[in-house]
Amino acid sequence: MKGWVLPVLLVLEMGLFTAISGAMFDSPTAFFHYFSGYLGDLIAQSAPVLLLGFGMTLVMITAGIDLSVGSMVALVAAVMAVCPGGPGFWFTAVPLGLLVAVLLGLTNGVLVAWLDIPPIIATLGTMIFYRGLCFVVLGDAEKSPFIDVPGYEGLGQFLGAALLVALAYLVGGYYFDRSRWRREILMLGGNRIAARYAGIPTGRRLCQVYGLMGLFAFAAALCFTARNSSVSASSLTGLELRVIVAVVLGGTLVQGGSGSLTGTFFGVLVVAVLDEGLRGAVTWGERHLPFKISHLQYLLLGALLVLGVWLNGRVSRTRGR
Amino acid sequence: MPLSRSLARRLIVLSAGNVLLLLGITLCLKQGASMADILRRCGSDVAPTVLAGLGMTGLIFTGAIDLSIASIVVVAGTIFGILVQRGASPSTCYGACVCTAWVLSMLNGWLVRALRIPAIILTLAGLTFYRGMALVAADLGVPNFSGNISVADDAFHAPGKRWAGWILLVVIVAALLWERSARTSRSWLALGSSPEACRLMGLRPSKILQSAFCASGIFLGLAALVFVTRIQAIEPARLALGFELQVIGAVVLGGASIFGGEGCFGGTILGALFLYFTSQLLTYAGLNPYFQEAVVGALILAVIGLDCALQRQRKSLEELA
Repeated sequence: MKGWVLPVLLVLEMGLFTAISGAMFDSPTAFFHYFSGYLGDLIAQSAPVLLLGFGMTLVMITAGIDLSVGSMVALVAAVMAVCPGGPGFWFTAVPLGLLVAVLLGLTNGVLVAWLDIPPIIATLGTMIFYRGLCFVVLGDAEKSPFIDVPGYEGLGQFLGAALLVALAYLVGGYYFDRSRWRREILMLGGNRIAARYAGIPTGRRLCQVYGLMGLFAFAAALCFTARNSSVSASSLTGLELRVIVAVVLGGTLVQGGSGSLTGTFFGVLVVAVLDEGLRGAVTWGERHLPFKISHLQYLLLGALLVLGVWLNGRVSRTRGR
Repeated sequence: MPLSRSLARRLIVLSAGNVLLLLGITLCLKQGASMADILRRCGSDVAPTVLAGLGMTGLIFTGAIDLSIASIVVVAGTIFGILVQRGASPSTCYGACVCTAWVLSMLNGWLVRALRIPAIILTLAGLTFYRGMALVAADLGVPNFSGNISVADDAFHAPGKRWAGWILLVVIVAALLWERSARTSRSWLALGSSPEACRLMGLRPSKILQSAFCASGIFLGLAALVFVTRIQAIEPARLALGFELQVIGAVVLGGASIFGGEGCFGGTILGALFLYFTSQLLTYAGLNPYFQEAVVGALILAVIGLDCALQRQRKSLEELA
């Protein structure tokens, strides 16, 4: 896909949903006010997916995929949720969550790199396994110690979320783009055997990539719990699909060896605007459609995934890959 | 066709495992429950997994996979529910249920061929798309749809409650006999081993792939029929969640290589039984139900990980050759 397609699609989508939701503006200031509020909400809402999308892009560059992200974020949030709230939360639960997240990510890495299980099967297995652990940790309870942690809810608002996202995409992306590490994982995804013969420690790189995914899952868990302030064992099912759709829409190839963080950023926003838009269009849907408009979300996500992969495949075929 | 050594070893391990699990269940039995009861129930409990598993085995032979089977079952169930609500005769409802599943499976195959997208990605999209389709269909087809469609009438429960064991038995015998004698199942294995060699031999890969999706559709139709006629209400948003994992788990446990080109139907049947008996044993042993999912997930991972680790040496030797 060409670079301008996603931003244009994004603007069109926003325009369409603004029109449907029935927002009216009588002056440019009102428009500006509405729009800045909307954007701030959008970033805060989609911060977890943006962070996970970064990690997933790296994973998909290595020709892998991580289906366990939803369960991973839920499990990290669950582990943090059983710790007591209060100011001590920052020194007990948060480091504990970080440790658990990296361990979970590395488990995926070990399964994929050392045991040679195909990534989709390995992470399908850990998806069930981690979800099972969520039930072990939480049972049927819904916990919310996050409310009485001082300064915690800032992570769920625009400023905190934007800070985390900027840290990942601007600072992380800057170093990533210039690093030797990036070229090594690109080569690893393009041809694993060639990469090994070129002297790249493929097993270690794969472990690092999946470990990083764990780190991003931790950051996403922070944003998610700060915004929703409670977690249960079945939260966040289906999150992985959203992340994968966004990354694929951004132009990352599922067969590995190519990927773009900018693309992922816009891909996540396209998916997020769609979600928000459908939520805002409920009253319009009730008047004009014979079915619930929220059900369209499933259909559109699936269609977007196929469309994205198909377009990516066409481009790479015409380039003669 | 004689079995390969690793496959034969797998079948022996699974059979031994099943016998051990049955012994374990016998030891854990409490007053009032008898082994005969468990075996009688086993037929209809395990039927959906085995039936869908046989279809999935054929697909995995060719190197394809279908992640959307749970959602296809949901669509078939929703169509079934709508017809029941509209007062159609039982046989019409059964027929419509099977046909829906078959048509959607054929559609998957056709899309994979037409768009040249890997089956795993296309059916990942199908997983969400078909569930959305079922929800929209329920909105349109059932007046005042409120989340579930009641199919409580006992006249509609014959296949799931009375015939399930017989359907299962007939299908298993037919499938095993067919596997021994027919060309088609071997051409699936050929396609999975090497599409290029397949084409050079004068076989047509796309036709073979479509035949695998066709067969999978028939098996899946029967699985859906048994699945939806055992329950009192069809809830499109939650029905059969995680069914695909169970089925793929059974197939992979049964020794089919996830890359295609290796496996047998018998393994899948034993694998499905193994998973079922494991969960039964955990229940009868009085394990906290919250631990079940984690234990089953860990079990699948362990078996697959062991298998992949054993194959690793062989693969690295092939790489050098």
